[in-house]
Amino acid sequence: MNKQYCIHLLAAIAAYGFCGPVLSHHSHSMFDHSRAVEITGTVTEFLFRNPHVYLYLDMEKEGGEVVNYWVEMSNIPNMIRRGIGLRTFQPGDVVTVHVYPLKDGRPGGNYAWVVAADGTTYD
Amino acid sequence: MNRYPTAKIAALVMGILPMVPGTAQDIFTTEDFRADREHWADPAYYRNNTVFEIRDMDRDSDFGEEGTGRVGAADLASPYPYTSAWEHYQAWLAEANGGTRHTRESIPDWSGRYGGGWDRLDGGPNPASSVVPMLKPRYQEAFVQDMVALGTGRTWGANAFCFPGGFATAIRDAEEFIVLPHRVWILSAGNNRNYIRWIYTDGSGHTQEDFQYPKWHGESIGFWDGDTLVVHTNQVRGWKGALTEFSDALETVERYRRVGDTIEGEITLYDPEVLVRPAFSRLAYELDTDTRPELRPLYNSCTDSNGPAPKIHMDERGILNERLQGDPLYWDATDPRPWATWLNESDERYRRYREGLDTSDNESPAN
Repeated sequence: MNKQYCIHLLAAIAAYGFCGPVLSHHSHSMFDHSRAVEITGTVTEFLFRNPHVYLYLDMEKEGGEVVNYWVEMSNIPNMIRRGIGLRTFQPGDVVTVHVYPLKDGRPGGNYAWVVAADGTTYD
Repeated sequence: MNRYPTAKIAALVMGILPMVPGTAQDIFTTEDFRADREHWADPAYYRNNTVFEIRDMDRDSDFGEEGTGRVGAADLASPYPYTSAWEHYQAWLAEANGGTRHTRESIPDWSGRYGGGWDRLDGGPNPASSVVPMLKPRYQEAFVQDMVALGTGRTWGANAFCFPGGFATAIRDAEEFIVLPHRVWILSAGNNRNYIRWIYTDGSGHTQEDFQYPKWHGESIGFWDGDTLVVHTNQVRGWKGALTEFSDALETVERYRRVGDTIEGEITLYDPEVLVRPAFSRLAYELDTDTRPELRPLYNSCTDSNGPAPKIHMDERGILNERLQGDPLYWDATDPRPWATWLNESDERYRRYREGLDTSDNESPAN
């Protein structure tokens, strides 16, 4: 197992093994974190709100069917720390998102990293 | 009176408990964890994982992997001889000769925003098995049940259901220490948490017993021993957290001191309902040097489940799941005006209800 004890620590505190807050709003057990899936699509909506930031994409599947894909991000302070702000994604932007997909196969997932329309990568 | 009559026995058991030789059953494979009681204190039963590693498995989908727990890495028991928090607090107050009377000029400067927490209140770097000997049988069972659930991807978290995190989480997540001569406030605010503790250092003492009742963060009083703050807390509402959970009987003694850019501390937990002997953890909160305005603390209500239907819910498989747009009972957690949404839905439902009455027996909703 590669995980370190207390992965959410500030670096200085990690040296002592102290455990800080787990910043996730809820368990991620509905997502498959064993594999990241690449989704490329057109932004239909970007909700920069708490408790989670959400990104919606229209993604064309094989055969031409368009599916609206739901991407759950972290909370606003966590997104700001990654450089993502209110205007980072606009409807019509073509973006590529790597997500941990929902285990039950519905079109949604928990984001891992995003490549915005201008080529900037946010992880 | 010794409130922990089994403490010495438990300590002995911890020291001499034989490792149960390789068992086929563990928390990842068992079909009846209650039948495995003889293995509960065996690291192998948890595949040597720490509690933290087991709790984190749903994040990385690495259920059942071998862990990094080290037997004896941290002593979960209190190093102090006291049998109650009040005895402990009074002893330290006597050692401090009644405490230091600070003025605004002499009070220590603890300003800033910190991050950190405890080093062992969730079992620390030990294998999860090390928690078991700290607990009374009923809570051993509760602990193992929790570990089995976590190890099979079934996670309950207060946050997911918009419940308060409770006293233990307020300790772990402390961010700001507002220090005045007569009172200290410990705050934490952010997504899914808004914690505040009031610590009365003015000598006024606890609320009289007739008016005491369990509160999410209890009631705290304290004194200064030079630049060290000592805190006694009682009247805590029992909840999930710390080694497994704690009861309304929990009382604690904390100690905090700023050393450079760190608030260093410790906490001793006295809970004779849950623990066979008092538990202990060191605390440390490091000054956060990222002071960008956009990262200031924020008040945030936990709205993820408080709508017309729980967005995070248990599905038909008994697994935590999430509703999406278009799903039955989906609720938008980002709705900026949820009351309006609720009223609109209520209006529509009431309209349909009335229409149904009109076409049947004209029964009045008041009947």
